Amino acid sequence: MSYLLKRALGAGCSMGRNVLNNAKSPMIQRIVTKTEQAAPQEETRPTVAKVDPLQKSQLVDFGKYVAECMPKYVQKVQLTAGNELEVLVPPEGVLPVLQFLKDHHTAQFTNLVDIAGMDVPNRQYRFEIIYNLLSLRYNSRIRVKTYTDELTPIESANDVFKAANWYEREIWDMFGVFFANHPDLRRILTDYGFEGHPFRKDFPLSGYVEVRYDDEQKRVVVEPLELAQEFRRFELSAPWEQFPNFRSNPASEEIINPGDDKTKQ
Amino acid sequence: MAAKQAIQVGTKIVKPVLSTNHAEARLRVLSLYKAWYRQIPYIVKEFDIPKSENQCREKLKELFMTNKDVTDIRVIDLLVIKGQMELQESVNMWKQKGHIMAYFKPTEEPKPKGFLSKFFNSNE
Repeated sequence: MSYLLKRALGAGCSMGRNVLNNAKSPMIQRIVTKTEQAAPQEETRPTVAKVDPLQKSQLVDFGKYVAECMPKYVQKVQLTAGNELEVLVPPEGVLPVLQFLKDHHTAQFTNLVDIAGMDVPNRQYRFEIIYNLLSLRYNSRIRVKTYTDELTPIESANDVFKAANWYEREIWDMFGVFFANHPDLRRILTDYGFEGHPFRKDFPLSGYVEVRYDDEQKRVVVEPLELAQEFRRFELSAPWEQFPNFRSNPASEEIINPGDDKTKQ
Repeated sequence: MAAKQAIQVGTKIVKPVLSTNHAEARLRVLSLYKAWYRQIPYIVKEFDIPKSENQCREKLKELFMTNKDVTDIRVIDLLVIKGQMELQESVNMWKQKGHIMAYFKPTEEPKPKGFLSKFFNSNE
């Protein structure tokens, strides 16, 4: 081949490459953006729960709607585990928010599934009270969270949900949170004469007393616990990290936090 | 309603449990004490415990006096509430004989205090 021809070919090739590159670059970009959009929707890892984007958007909208309807009480709305909507309210807002969620036509959370408690001793208000609601009409669940300490009473939700009666007795028994205006607040899980609240973090795992049948007394007696061996503290946390892949994943994503909005303004 | 008002505890304004001042809390404690006191003859009779009424009254006084130094109104209220619940359990016979006798701790041996008694008590 002559030198000229070679050069011409090379030029042609390079020219063609340039043309190709120019033509392709926007297309490639478009594809890339498409995959970026699709990436959070397509969950291929088998151990990770798949997020339904439609359901998520509906939950976000509903959370915003609740926060708009009850601006006085809703402190924060968040999504946990991708599809669990949580409304965080102060203790005085529990009854209005529960009543709203129960009676509002677009909510209809008529079932109180459970009331749970949580104890975090280093917080100012150490207890969290968590109301799990279910709407059969819209096949949807919501969680209302509030906070209190050992001495601050919470209004009983018994007037809104009759199911709250026993659940609040459970919370009273296990955590010692007092519910004001509860019709029949008394122990439900512990034995008569039991002292202390077992689900508090400062309650020892072995308890304070042991119960046995005494043959001389001919009845069951309660005695302070005496362990032959000192109670062993097992270090249950492993030295390695259990879920390094989820290190960056936040436990909950905020939808609305009015406090943040105010500081921004 | 008393529960709607706020009471002053230290420098913090808090929501009251039941009482808004010390006089009210004291009244609740006294009425609870009287209710227990009046219930003692029935408790002795119905639970058939091997204790006399006087012994029960002494025990009642002792149990109330263990909390004599509590000054926080809300703590007093919660103690009163728990006492009322226990009274209800006793009145309705939800408790059994063993639960009533648990107040007297009949099987508990007092801890040895002196050096020699500690020495005699140890098995070694």
